[in-house]
Amino acid sequence: MAYSDKVIDHYNNPRNVGSFDKGDADVGTGIVGAPECGDVMKLQLRINPESRVIEDARFKTFGCGSAIASSSYVTELVKGKHIEEAMTIKNTVIVQELNLPPVKIHCSVLAEDAIKAAIGDWKKQHEDARPSAEPRKAQEG
Amino acid sequence: MVTCPSCVRTQPLALVCAGCGAPIGASVDLFAALNLPRRLTIDPEALERAYHNLSRRIHPDRFGSASVRIRDASLRATALLTRAYRTLRDPAARGRYWLELHGHKLGDDNQRVPANLAALVFETQERLAELRDERTPGNLAAARARREEVARALDAAGLELAENFARWDADGVATADGEHAARFAELKAVLSKIAYLTTLHRDIDRELETARAA
Ligand code: FES
Repeated sequence: MAYSDKVIDHYNNPRNVGSFDKGDADVGTGIVGAPECGDVMKLQLRINPESRVIEDARFKTFGCGSAIASSSYVTELVKGKHIEEAMTIKNTVIVQELNLPPVKIHCSVLAEDAIKAAIGDWKKQHEDARPSAEPRKAQEG
Repeated sequence: MVTCPSCVRTQPLALVCAGCGAPIGASVDLFAALNLPRRLTIDPEALERAYHNLSRRIHPDRFGSASVRIRDASLRATALLTRAYRTLRDPAARGRYWLELHGHKLGDDNQRVPANLAALVFETQERLAELRDERTPGNLAAARARREEVARALDAAGLELAENFARWDADGVATADGEHAARFAELKAVLSKIAYLTTLHRDIDRELETARAA
C-alpha cells in the first residue's frame, strides 16, 4: 500500500496524541471501531460549555496508517469549530486532504464517526444532566 | 442453465457436471461450490472431505491436454472451490459471508464499540506501550496475562457465534421479519467483537515477539 506524503507525515508526526484527564467535565469522548479490520480509535474533544467551541482535541488510534493520519488530521480540523459545525464534517474532506485510495475510505469514516461520537458524549453529559445539576447560566446555545 | 464443456449436457449452474463430473466452473454460491447444504453449522471433517474430493476431480493438472474451454472451466472451478474452502472453514469468515449473501455489510452503521470491549482494547494497548518502553519481567507478565484474557474472550465469542449459527440452521432463513433483523444484528455484533479481539490478539503477539527478539 503506497501512502500519500500527507498520510506519512501525520503518521510519523501525529498531532495531539494522547488523552485528557478522565475527570475533566468539559471533555467528550468518542470510541469507534471498524469491524472490517478490527481497528479502534478514541477521540477526545475539550468543549467550552459557554461558547460550545472545541478548544482542544486528543486522539489514540490503534490501527492502520490511514486511520492514524485521519484522526491526527481531524484533531487539527475541529479545533476552533463550534460543535454544530464540527458535526457536519464529512469523511470526504479527510479523503481529499490525505489523498486516501478507495480501500482506505473506511478509515476516514472512522474519524468522522469519532467526532460525532465524542460530541454526542459531551452533549449527553451536559444536556441530559442540565436541569438538575447545572448552576451555570441557564441559556447558552 | 449451463452446458458442460466435456459432455455437453445442459444443466443448472454448477461447479462440476452432474453427468460426467468434469469441471464446469459456473459461478455458484460458496455452499453450493462445496456441495454442502446452506447451513452455517459445518462439520469440519465433512468440509475437508468435500474439498479434497472435488479439488482432485477438477485439478488443472488433469486437463493439461484438454481443449481450451475445458482447461478454463477447470481453472475457474478450482479458483471458486479454493475461495469456498477458505471462507467456509473459518467460522468468522463464514458468518461474514452469510451477511454478504443476504445483502448485509458488517461495516454498515456499525462503528460503536461496546464499552467493556473498548476498555479491554485500550487498557491492553497501554500495557503493550509500557512493555515497549520498558522490557521488565513485570511488564512482560502483564502482557502475557492480557493475551490469555483476550484468548478467553475470543473463545467465548466463538461459542456465541456457534449459537447464532444454530439458530439460523434451526429454521432456515424464513423467519419472521423482526426476529430476522434481530438475528442479523446479533450476528454483526458478535462478528465485530471477534474482529476487535483478533486484531488485539495479533498486536499482543507482535509485541511479545519483539520483546522476545530483543
Ligand atoms: S484498515 Fe481499518 S481503519 Fe484503516
